[in-house]
Amino acid sequence: MKPAPFRYARAGTLAEAIALLAAAPGEHKVLAGGQSLVPMLNMRLVRPAVLVDVNGLRELTGITPGPEGGLRLGALTRHAELAASPAVLERAPLLVEAARHVGHAAIRNQGTLGGSLAHADPAAELPAALLALDARVRISGPRGAREVAAEAFFRGLLTTALEADEILTAIEVPAQPPGWGFAEIARRPGDFALAGVAAVVRVAPDAPAHVEHARLVGFGVADRPLRLAGAERHLTGRPLDADIAARAGAAAGPDCDPPSDVHGSADYRRHLATVLIERALLQATSRLAGRPR
Amino acid sequence: MSHEPAPGAGWVGRPVPLKEDARLVAGRGRFVDDLGRPRMLHAAMLRSPHAHARIVAIDTREADTLPGVFAVLTGAEAAARSGPIRPLIPTTAVVLDYCLAVDRARYMGEPVAAVAAIDRATAEDALERIRVEYEPLPAVVDPELAIGSDAPLLYPALGSNVVWHDTLTYGPVDAAMARAAGVLRERFMIQRYASTPLETFGGIAEYDPGTDVFEFWTNDQRPGLTISVLAASLGVPQSRVRLSCPDIGGAFGNKRRPAYLLICALLARKTGRPVKWIEDRIENLTALMHACNGIMDVELAYRADGTVLALSIRDIADEGKNLITPTQHNLIKLGNIANGYRIPAVRYEAWSVLTNKCPSGANRGIGKPFMCFAIERAMAILARRLGLDPAELRLRNYVTAAEMPYTTPPGAQYDSGDYPATLHRALERFGYTARRAEQVAAREDGRLLGIGIATSVEPAGTNLASYEIITGRRAVSGSAEAAMVRMEPDGQVRVSLGDPPSGQGYETVLAQIVADELGLTPDAITVTRGFDSTTTPWLYLSGNYSNKFSVTDVGAVVGAAARVRAKLLRIAAHRLEAAVTDLELAGGAVAVRGAPDRRLAFADLARTAYADVLGLPPGEEPGLEARHAHQNPLAQPVDGERRVRSQLVFSNAAHCCLVEVDRRTGLVKILKYLVVHDCGREINPLIVEGMVHGATAHGIGAALLEEFRYDAQGQLLTSTFVDYLKPTSADVPLIDVDRLEHPSPVTPLGAKGVGEGGAIPGPAAVANAVEDALAHLGVVVRALPITPEQVWRWIK
Amino acid sequence: MTTPSERLAVRLTVNGRPVEQVVEARRSLADFLREDLGLTGTHVGCEHGVCGACTVLVDGRSARSCLLFAAQLEGRAVTTIEGLTPAGGLSPLQESFRVCHAMQCGFCTPGMIVTTTELLAREPAPSTEAIREAISGNLCMCTGYVNIVRAVERAVAARAEGARA
Repeated sequence: MKPAPFRYARAGTLAEAIALLAAAPGEHKVLAGGQSLVPMLNMRLVRPAVLVDVNGLRELTGITPGPEGGLRLGALTRHAELAASPAVLERAPLLVEAARHVGHAAIRNQGTLGGSLAHADPAAELPAALLALDARVRISGPRGAREVAAEAFFRGLLTTALEADEILTAIEVPAQPPGWGFAEIARRPGDFALAGVAAVVRVAPDAPAHVEHARLVGFGVADRPLRLAGAERHLTGRPLDADIAARAGAAAGPDCDPPSDVHGSADYRRHLATVLIERALLQATSRLAGRPR
Repeated sequence: MSHEPAPGAGWVGRPVPLKEDARLVAGRGRFVDDLGRPRMLHAAMLRSPHAHARIVAIDTREADTLPGVFAVLTGAEAAARSGPIRPLIPTTAVVLDYCLAVDRARYMGEPVAAVAAIDRATAEDALERIRVEYEPLPAVVDPELAIGSDAPLLYPALGSNVVWHDTLTYGPVDAAMARAAGVLRERFMIQRYASTPLETFGGIAEYDPGTDVFEFWTNDQRPGLTISVLAASLGVPQSRVRLSCPDIGGAFGNKRRPAYLLICALLARKTGRPVKWIEDRIENLTALMHACNGIMDVELAYRADGTVLALSIRDIADEGKNLITPTQHNLIKLGNIANGYRIPAVRYEAWSVLTNKCPSGANRGIGKPFMCFAIERAMAILARRLGLDPAELRLRNYVTAAEMPYTTPPGAQYDSGDYPATLHRALERFGYTARRAEQVAAREDGRLLGIGIATSVEPAGTNLASYEIITGRRAVSGSAEAAMVRMEPDGQVRVSLGDPPSGQGYETVLAQIVADELGLTPDAITVTRGFDSTTTPWLYLSGNYSNKFSVTDVGAVVGAAARVRAKLLRIAAHRLEAAVTDLELAGGAVAVRGAPDRRLAFADLARTAYADVLGLPPGEEPGLEARHAHQNPLAQPVDGERRVRSQLVFSNAAHCCLVEVDRRTGLVKILKYLVVHDCGREINPLIVEGMVHGATAHGIGAALLEEFRYDAQGQLLTSTFVDYLKPTSADVPLIDVDRLEHPSPVTPLGAKGVGEGGAIPGPAAVANAVEDALAHLGVVVRALPITPEQVWRWIK
Repeated sequence: MTTPSERLAVRLTVNGRPVEQVVEARRSLADFLREDLGLTGTHVGCEHGVCGACTVLVDGRSARSCLLFAAQLEGRAVTTIEGLTPAGGLSPLQESFRVCHAMQCGFCTPGMIVTTTELLAREPAPSTEAIREAISGNLCMCTGYVNIVRAVERAVAARAEGARA
């Protein structure tokens, strides 16, 4: 299983990388972690003319705390770095949990945050987590730099707002509220999720605390990470408890449009989504109550 | 065949750490892809994208001229330059099958052309430049449809896809059914799956035009058979085919596809250079070998107290495109059809049917896991129907130790074993009563626990005379293996065996056996790695299959070692002027009993044998080397009633499994798994226990994860390890293993088979546990694998 | 920046030794190690990153060598099973595998050793569950993993014993 021939170039700077991509948009592809791209190359499912190795771009690395409690994550942040970062654990623990679920150690050591977002596998953990966190994606290209909200970044099956001559450079993550949950079901640990939920819940500071705002994102339940708006509506204005969590779960079904494949049917995935919403919300409830999870 | 205690006895039975593990753990194994030859080229296979298609035309001109390409081979050329591949089990369906598809492709992934190039990547580039015009044909994928008269035919000349259909009746089945208190009728299905060794299949072929010799290096596990096929197809005598096997990274039955070696040989002859081909994982999962999927209708007649009176089976084995070993899955079921039970009358009606899918073939257990699944599932269902504890029902039906040797209606002879004691030990060690209480308590907490029991016999060795049931004539028969033991001129010992190991620890276990025979330590004995047809003794029957090690290989080595020992004694007797009966072998020397100063070290005796030959006894041949081939005495031809000992020696086991089912997601977690097994004398308990773990893990995989799924057009949907799921360390719990030891009276050391064991009852044990967890919902498990979605649907 | 090319020179360190070679861009690290450097201890089992047989260390961290191109390794340090095996013997972890018979055919073993080496470097006393989780990305078709887990537990215990002594 050897790839079709390609040429390889190692970009020394971001500008060089962009120039290489722009030279033949669509035929020149970014090589970052490669954990999704290289299997496709080996199977000859993709045949870029040039691979642009961006692993040397220091400007794409780094985890930097932001001024308002958020984080800026370089696109080249490896999943393993994310999972082990004290700064991320403190400011966006949902990301740590999501990163821990990606594949196995060898995959996490190489796979990058930017790569995961750009590839946009609908069953991937990090795109869903970032959508739940209302992150913003920074993109650079020959036409300059821009920022796209996660909401607008994921456009369809394996399709994002990235143009063929653009490169993802960083992800801005706002401060994460303390109410959060993450749950996924896979056939075996490390496999792609059959379905999963990343949940972030902001509650009012007064008592009894009611939900001000919830972002419930399903993965594996549609052609992209999906805000489960029906479930979210069930939460807004209500106190977060087991009963509400169950109802929110039940309300998620209609929003889902999962695929059917050898690992599970659409119906089953839809069902899993309802269970996982409930589980994720129960986790959030525990965390808000100060109980360790 | 009994044996007297060997001098210096003590190595057999010890859990000696393996010699080969020291090199394997350092990455110093040498597997076929680690080997190279000067000027070697690499091959790649062009494979049919269609499950069934006429090959209208192949244009290789663009591939021929790609720089780095040295040869392109099509089916037409292969058919012109080689003979058809001879089947192992020739049914009445005679069809000419070459190493490449010629006029038709009959499964997705069937090789239709091959390229030899400077490297694998270039060869794959060339494949893309070969233009094949296909005319797709309707594919038949479902075996029941394939049997039907209007099904698309793989071979129109045969007039049918059914390669074999027959009924074997042993005893008055209908009469027993008529007088039974009841007859349990169930249909069971098993999926396609495979053992998928981590190292894929492959080889290097080289042709020497000077000597007209073809040489192969390959991880083929049945060299005796393969040499015969290669020689016949290449049109050379077997004396001009040399085949050797290096370390083999797992085999389990799958590693045998002579077609690929033939393709490499033809490319080697055409290019004048050695050609290597190693299958990649997609090729392995798509096109190497699947265990038959199948459908089995079971009728079990019973008395009110649960005693089984008769068994009638209708078995459809879906062979894919397999004309090399069709009916193998059917035939082997005769070995464990009665499992461990006293069933007076048995009927077996079977179909072996072709479909447009990957060829079937040997796998860990071959058809026995399905047979055991059907029987053990039927017993579980019957127990529930009669309100009996499943263990109790089995105890009422087991063949007992007092009845051994016991012959089943189809003719299998259970040599020894105590099936009730095995189950009792398992239940005790598993804490069966406590687990039941745990199950009840958990139910009150809303948790679904299930307990599954499955017991089985594990047949070992295959008597190839049983093929006569299929072919109607006897061309091959018996079960045998050959070995050589040689004491070198320096007194150290070398052993070689016609059966190439693939992880079973032969280099250690044979050293233990020979050490006991010759009064040496295993360190003084080197077992040559793998197989080399020019130096390893071998028979057509040689190779690794059917769990035969204890049945034949051990006897071959013991016999050869005994001859060397006898010769050492004769030479020593002559030189010491003593009687052979006054001598003993110990500590690497021969000495007169009671007179330790009258002693000759092996090196000294070897010097006489090899160098100072005038010192030999009169009439004694120089050298200290012996070859011996052992055939198991239980193998007999098929008798007039079509009974035969198809397999020869029987281990047995009881598996107990505790699972928890997540009622909301359907996920099944195995909380506890216990195996009590009896494989007779354990030559090396460390190896034995490892075999039990590994085989059981494969059984768990078959129960819960593994499945080759095809769509209606015969496209394989699970052709990578992302989609074809193997059990990982997260899926296999700690497997607790305990043992009984009832030596076999029919093998030289009393050892029995152990390599397939856990894979046979494993699927049934897990299925019984899941069903037990959901019994209150009336769920009946009839098919594998049991996916979380399926469980969820049952619970809904 | 390098100009896009189908062949390029790469300089890296393998098992502590500097290596310099011209490679085809699409040459995987696994094939480079095995065929260009003759380090055949690293095995290829799937070429899509799932089976773990090809696992090596890159700058001390585990990586699937089937999912890396040799060209990417410029300036990096690769450690293979050969580099984890001391001259004339076995490492304590390897010895533990040997004693526990934590392999049968040996094909998954180098990948297992690399993965568990990384585990033990990261966590001095992993629980049984942590061991199982760590090796769940390395497939074995022979052992059912039981002895592999035991071998790592034994290595952990031996290390603790050695630390106490």
